[in-house]
Amino acid sequence: MTILTRLTVLGALAGTFAAAQPLPKAETILDRYSEVTGGKAAYQKHTQETMTGTISFPAQGLGGKLTRYGAAPDQEYSALELGPIGKIESGFTNGVAWEKSSILGPRVKTGDEKDQAAREALFDSQVGWRKNFPKAETLGSESVNGEDCYKVLLTPPSGKPETRFYSKKSGLLLKSTTTAVSPMGEVAVEVEVSDYKTFDGILFPTHSKSKMGAQQMDMLITGVSFDQPVPPGTFDLPPEIKALVDKAAGK
Amino acid sequence: MRQPTWITCGKSNRYIRIVQPTKSRAGTGFASNHVRAVLALILSASPIVAQLTTDQKQANVASFETVWTTIRDKHWETNPGGLDWQAIHAEYRPRIEAAASSEAARAIMREMIGRLKQTHFAIFPATVYQVLDADGTGEGWPGFETRVLDGRVIVFEVREPQSNIKTGWEIVQANGVNMAPLVAKLQTDPAIHELQLERAVAARLSGQVGAVRPMVFADQNNARVSLDVKLQAPRGEFSGFGNLPPQPVWFESKRLGNTGYIHFNIFLDLVHIMQQFGDAVQQCSHCDGIVIDLRGNPGGIGAMAMGMAGWLVKQPGERLGVMYMRGATLNFFINPRAEAFDGPVAVLVDGSSASTSEIFAGGLKDLGRARIFGTRTAAAALPSVITRLPNGDGFQYAVANYISHGGKALEGNGVVPDVDVKLTREALLAGHDTVVDAALDWIRKQKVSK
Repeated sequence: MTILTRLTVLGALAGTFAAAQPLPKAETILDRYSEVTGGKAAYQKHTQETMTGTISFPAQGLGGKLTRYGAAPDQEYSALELGPIGKIESGFTNGVAWEKSSILGPRVKTGDEKDQAAREALFDSQVGWRKNFPKAETLGSESVNGEDCYKVLLTPPSGKPETRFYSKKSGLLLKSTTTAVSPMGEVAVEVEVSDYKTFDGILFPTHSKSKMGAQQMDMLITGVSFDQPVPPGTFDLPPEIKALVDKAAGK
Repeated sequence: MRQPTWITCGKSNRYIRIVQPTKSRAGTGFASNHVRAVLALILSASPIVAQLTTDQKQANVASFETVWTTIRDKHWETNPGGLDWQAIHAEYRPRIEAAASSEAARAIMREMIGRLKQTHFAIFPATVYQVLDADGTGEGWPGFETRVLDGRVIVFEVREPQSNIKTGWEIVQANGVNMAPLVAKLQTDPAIHELQLERAVAARLSGQVGAVRPMVFADQNNARVSLDVKLQAPRGEFSGFGNLPPQPVWFESKRLGNTGYIHFNIFLDLVHIMQQFGDAVQQCSHCDGIVIDLRGNPGGIGAMAMGMAGWLVKQPGERLGVMYMRGATLNFFINPRAEAFDGPVAVLVDGSSASTSEIFAGGLKDLGRARIFGTRTAAAALPSVITRLPNGDGFQYAVANYISHGGKALEGNGVVPDVDVKLTREALLAGHDTVVDAALDWIRKQKVSK
């Protein structure tokens, strides 16, 4: 038996052995992610987060910058300034999910789209993932860019489920897939994340590559800070959004 | 989810006009004498330097692979254009490898994408980018727009009056070229539709800013008038979008009696045009109606059609149509603005109204929200993106099919007006635009019947 053959057989045996091992529970995988990225204490000492980054659509030659503010328990505001498209703002405040852009104007999100926005706005979504996803199950093992991962299906109380891929070795999230919902329809989204860096004790993936149909988007996080003052009124509903909410409420 | 934004220009924007092989624009359209001289030098030297270096050959092969793979992976059909795309590769790859020049390689790639028989697939020479990068101000125009009416080039609208040129005059000769035979020749080519024809004619009349074009006109009495027409700086402001080179963009709105009239040349410069469109609609909240003139508008950013429709549709939950891509189906939904106009809307179109113009006009027509006046649109409505190839060329490829709200594909069909109205030279000479007149007449009747 040559060395190569022996290695192959050993590899096959190892594979068989590994496959025979029971899969960890999804909650173990998700809790491990919280731990390896900082731990409960590191996450829970913060009540506000500011994130800045850049975004690009390589095929179209478009790029811009992203600013996102989050605050406990579930407030969120994002502004994407995308060159010739202008500013696209979105937010979640007091149960209202909204978006405002130069193209479409102001609108209030409803249904699955609102639910998705609410999940993204949950400040302690890493440690408190159970609030977003009451049901989580490990589906199996799958490779992401050559790295063995656990494949975990997360099901929210309403709306679209999300599949995440966590590295068996590091415990880090490497990929997620879901269905994004908007009035434009439902689009399968695949996001690969990488380049984890530590910001104030918490590991963040600073590079993400998203695919939505034929559209590809790259995002680079350039800065994350915690508990810094945010511009006044950041989380307030814009007047146009408030007018829509009031109109819907019959005010 | 962020709304994807697509370029849906017809093959008619300024950039594509430069590279259209039928335009005979060499030596007239580019920016500076220096650049022109360099280009001439390159062109005249090309037979001598036809031998490609190994790097150039590799870049051409890599470009071919990029084009072929992109279409394989991103065309909305898994068998693009109903073709055996793998067989296409086997057929064209050896030809690219044997191509003796970059021009030959480009021609082979153009032939390959031509097999799709779909609009919005194009290869643009790298030199276009180089020239545009060097000087983007070489888009002089004569200060008036033309239309081809009954085989003759007629002054349609004079924006920057010079030498007493009048609407309705015929341009008999430009730069020593007789226009009617040129038009007749172009019209015999089945591949050249109205959109390309109008652009080819416009290219004959344009060139470097400040240059003088000798032209012979036939005036209102058909008397010959010879004039040296000085080319003006292009109307509007240049605006780009990603890999799409900058285009001049302008917007105008005015009142025709108590009817609003909105006219813009292309769906670009999103932030400003959307703002101006919204302002124009809001300022017209008490108008009898609004006329939106999309004649000659080649399209642009597809999402702008959705946004503009939001100023004209009050009912939530509506859409202009549906875009079908590989792996995704997207509604061109309408987000009604609180201040949306609910009076009569007329949209004016012609054979040079393409892409986003067709999405907008076709969707509003299908929704029963607008009445369409003019002539059938260009039937070129595939959303596309433009990227750069390894050899420096530009590559435009369609990524989706688009079906209007009424269930018809706009590609190949276009938008058929509710009221078919043609421009006539006689009306133009009398100071009338027959299409605008028909729209105003309809709006007046709506008011009376109300």
